[in-house]
Amino acid sequence: MKFLSRALLATTAVLLFAAPAVSASELTVGFTLDADTLDPANHRKRETETIIRNLYDGILTRDAEMNVVPEIAESFTQISPTVYEFKIRQGIKFHDGSDLTAEDVKFTLDRLTVEGAMGDGQTSPRKSLLGPLASTDVVDAYTIRINLFEPWPILPAQLPFQEVVSKAFVESVGTAGLATQVNGTGPFKLVEWRKGDSIIMERFADYYGGASDIAPVGPACVDRVIFKVIPESASRVAALLAGDVDIINELPAFSIGQVEANPDTTVMSVNGTRSFFVAMNLEGEYFDDIKVREALAHAIDKDLIIDRILGGYASRIEGILSPDAFGSSELPAYAYDPELAKQMLAEAGFPDGIDVTMDVEGAFKDTAEAIASLLTKAGIRTTVAVGEGAQLAEKWRTKGGPKSGDMFFTSWGNGSLDPFDIFIPTHRTADRGNSAGYANAELDAILDAASVELDVAKRAAMYHDAEMIVNHDLPYVYLWVPQDLYGVSTRVSGWQPSADSRINLHDACVN
Amino acid sequence: MTDATGTPPRAESIFRQNLRNFAFNRLAVASTVVVLIFIVMAIFAPLIAPHDPNETDLFRRLQPPAWQAGGEWSYLLGCDGLGRDILSRIIFGTRISIFIGAAVILVATTIGILAGLASGYLRGWVDVVISRLVDILLGFPYLIFAIGLMAMMGPGLVNIILALAYKEWVIPCRVVRGETLVTRELEYVEAARALGASKSHIMLKEILPNIMSPVIVVASIRMAHVIILEASLSFLGLGVQPPTASWGSMVADGRAFILDAWWVSTFPGLAILLLVLAINVASQGLRDAFDPRFHE
Amino acid sequence: MSLGKLIERLLQLVPVLLGVSVIAFLMMALTPGDPVQIIIGDQQITAEQEAALRHDLGLDRSIPERFAIFLGNAVTGDFGESFYHRRPVSEVIAERLPATIELSLVALLIALATSIPLGVLAAIRKNSIFDRIATVGSLLGVSLPGFWFGILLLMLFAVNLHILPVAGRIGYSSEIEPITHFLLIDTLLRGRPDAFLDALSHILLPALTLGLPMTAILMRVTRTSMLEVLRQDYVTFAEAKGLSRRRVLFRHALKNALIPTVSVAAIETGSLLGGNMIVETVFGWPGLGRLVVESIFLRNYPLVQAAVLFYAVTYVLLNFFADILYTVLNPRVKL
Repeated sequence: MKFLSRALLATTAVLLFAAPAVSASELTVGFTLDADTLDPANHRKRETETIIRNLYDGILTRDAEMNVVPEIAESFTQISPTVYEFKIRQGIKFHDGSDLTAEDVKFTLDRLTVEGAMGDGQTSPRKSLLGPLASTDVVDAYTIRINLFEPWPILPAQLPFQEVVSKAFVESVGTAGLATQVNGTGPFKLVEWRKGDSIIMERFADYYGGASDIAPVGPACVDRVIFKVIPESASRVAALLAGDVDIINELPAFSIGQVEANPDTTVMSVNGTRSFFVAMNLEGEYFDDIKVREALAHAIDKDLIIDRILGGYASRIEGILSPDAFGSSELPAYAYDPELAKQMLAEAGFPDGIDVTMDVEGAFKDTAEAIASLLTKAGIRTTVAVGEGAQLAEKWRTKGGPKSGDMFFTSWGNGSLDPFDIFIPTHRTADRGNSAGYANAELDAILDAASVELDVAKRAAMYHDAEMIVNHDLPYVYLWVPQDLYGVSTRVSGWQPSADSRINLHDACVN
Repeated sequence: MTDATGTPPRAESIFRQNLRNFAFNRLAVASTVVVLIFIVMAIFAPLIAPHDPNETDLFRRLQPPAWQAGGEWSYLLGCDGLGRDILSRIIFGTRISIFIGAAVILVATTIGILAGLASGYLRGWVDVVISRLVDILLGFPYLIFAIGLMAMMGPGLVNIILALAYKEWVIPCRVVRGETLVTRELEYVEAARALGASKSHIMLKEILPNIMSPVIVVASIRMAHVIILEASLSFLGLGVQPPTASWGSMVADGRAFILDAWWVSTFPGLAILLLVLAINVASQGLRDAFDPRFHE
Repeated sequence: MSLGKLIERLLQLVPVLLGVSVIAFLMMALTPGDPVQIIIGDQQITAEQEAALRHDLGLDRSIPERFAIFLGNAVTGDFGESFYHRRPVSEVIAERLPATIELSLVALLIALATSIPLGVLAAIRKNSIFDRIATVGSLLGVSLPGFWFGILLLMLFAVNLHILPVAGRIGYSSEIEPITHFLLIDTLLRGRPDAFLDALSHILLPALTLGLPMTAILMRVTRTSMLEVLRQDYVTFAEAKGLSRRRVLFRHALKNALIPTVSVAAIETGSLLGGNMIVETVFGWPGLGRLVVESIFLRNYPLVQAAVLFYAVTYVLLNFFADILYTVLNPRVKL
């Protein structure tokens, strides 16, 4: 009997302590990945940046509608095609209490762009994100000038990806220390990093308030934020439904029903920035003929797949740009018509259809198989071949070199929502993301001209022309841009998902 | 295995005797029947399966099993994320599990026998090299080695078999080496040597037939392990290519849906459990029957 | 056993470790897929920047050169820097190691604590219903695919019943200053029974899943060796002398019966380490296994090489220890 009562006691204790014990207001995010490092200049992962962004602020940032707004900067102007001046806010404090000045901003930018500036002769892996940034000058204690090698209209769009560090702090702990220690200007400061498990942050009471264009301005709403690492999607959803976490990212489309049905949770979505498409090997035996490519375009029922597999949470695209990107426009659509597809194959000389393979990374296996079965019904008998990301990239992104394979189901991200980062890599001759092997000198010329065009209207028109060309030439069958889905507890308020996958918790509150 | 005088065992009669022992173990026989049923399922899959395992139907996506609301009796165990019939995929998946299991064991046992014989009989540097190799391979955790090899070679049926066999052979090798070390000292082997028999003749014709029993027992035990290993590899995404159905990849696919479409993962997992359990019970019976130490 | 023999056996481990390093290194080096490309991903990068990155990671050298550097540094404990964490690999691994070791140890404890009594009881009540159930149970234990069983357990206890947590090692209501980095021990040392129970509830399911096959095997081994010991002459002799059966059992028989159990346990612990990957993935356990699997796919060479070496060293040492243990416990067996 004694054993029994002791067992009962223990069980009750376990039950009590398995439930979340929250006295101060605490917001937990069920997150897919752990941060690689907490050094803002020493990584290349979006997830790492998402976490870091709550601890460190940047010169500029984006609001929920993806507009670029000043954050640590107060304002900025373009003095010449290659020089920008930024006025830095006064009164910003680092977590250790020291003040932020222009010296810290210059130090940050130098650290990111100067060769060997990371110590031990290492260069920041994020250097390329700041492209033609030549140097930074300190004009006075709260003004800096950024000098570029050449005109680069997307500099403001790219600055939100970088965060400002404290010169004194980095000089004292070094790059090695910055990997695990944090001294930023963000709304939260680091409490503990349990590697592989979670990152615990608490409110920074002396926060300067944040971007003035994003209300409310002031210290963070919640006392503590925890990013809990749960890579398994089913476990993440389970944690949300159980109330163990308040926000989860990468909510799978088929769990939408469950999350909506639960009275304590809801689904939030935001237009994504990753375009999905099927690359066809234009040097291959079938796809050099435009009729075959058109047949493919007519054989895929995009709406069905968006409806069934993506839960309706995706936008069709007929060109490479997502509907939210700069320069996107209405383009002619290729209707779903398998009979027409068969006809076109016959016209191209393949009355009995063709046999091809489609390469895909494991994560998108299901969608690729759905597409493959649709294609097969239209006479394009497709076998799906799952490969590893690394191997497939080597196989298809040959930068102009010869390639093997028929089709590649893949995607390209466009976090800056500017065609520069997506159109050029995927369509310019021999560029790094040109999986199809497309080579069109006319298009190259338009893209090059648009890169440096400063007149916004002219630039947009150029991209429209470019899209019309590729929509007609079909080097890729453009599929869709999925929305980013988040599961959110109803006790969370003041937070909206952002198209750049940031989870900015400054203004989030829990009730 | 041999009697005290060192005369060669009358292999035939002892074998038949052990077989009879096995037949008396009802559980073991029942399990063997189960295994045979699986094998039959594998061979006659196209005739038994109610549907095409690869036919996707996005309108049947995640359809529940027949006895639940929304299910249909023609799709008895429900449908997976792409609307494919789970029962048919399980039936076709039997082919993969059994084929890979058998192939790996066959390849591994063959290599293991040859290596073990050479190592145990020839001794010298052959033994040293092979033993070191065995130690090195044993020092690698199974999964990491398999994952690494698969990453190196790429996915595919042949590659899985090779990746698993690369490490699996050390187990029969050890067994054979141990048995060879004992057997080589026996009088009949010495006699054969005196008669001028070649080394390979002694190894293959004299020693090998007399050590087959433990080899068979170990092979059957390991078969179960290999099937689970293949399922684990498929679970991690390194198995056979889609759309081929492997039980492991079916469990992996269903993992994401487990909260509301539990059948996608549960039934293939049950299939693995049943087959492996049957093999284990049967091989346990084999061991009980063939190994005199366990005669009680 | 003489010190000389001990040293001789230890020295024999060196070529084995060398062989493992070679294989681990070659496996990663020969695997297609460029780590630099993976790190860069979609981002734009100039040729010079790419070359700089490649140089920073040490990938612009030839394979033999890289292996020599790796080996030379490894001997001093420097395993290079992780491509992703940009910190020394030894540090990254050391951070994740306690979680894996704690999980393995708890699994081992559960396995021993369950299998030994069950095995002994099954042997004493041979052929009874209990024995038969135990036998079937142990066969089930080795037949259950860990990844499937783990998912089912998780869904049942964490989701449907919501008794146990979904992921992680411990909740957030407690900050525990680490001493041993083993949460179960640290929480007790810091006088926090509530945190101890919290940590226990987190480790329970993964440890059960991980330890199940081992429990099954050890139960069989214990039962078999107990049966054999019970048949021995000296047991009958002791009984004849008038000692109670119980005393006979626990004084004499059990000690000897446990020898194979302990030996097998030592060897199987190596497989516990290897089996970690799947369990850690399913349960979101922040250990080394999950890290290694991720690193292979990311071509994080330094980390994989160091981790494999670590596993090999541990495994080899465990086997070595098992051999010695067996000899010590069983003086009739010569090394």
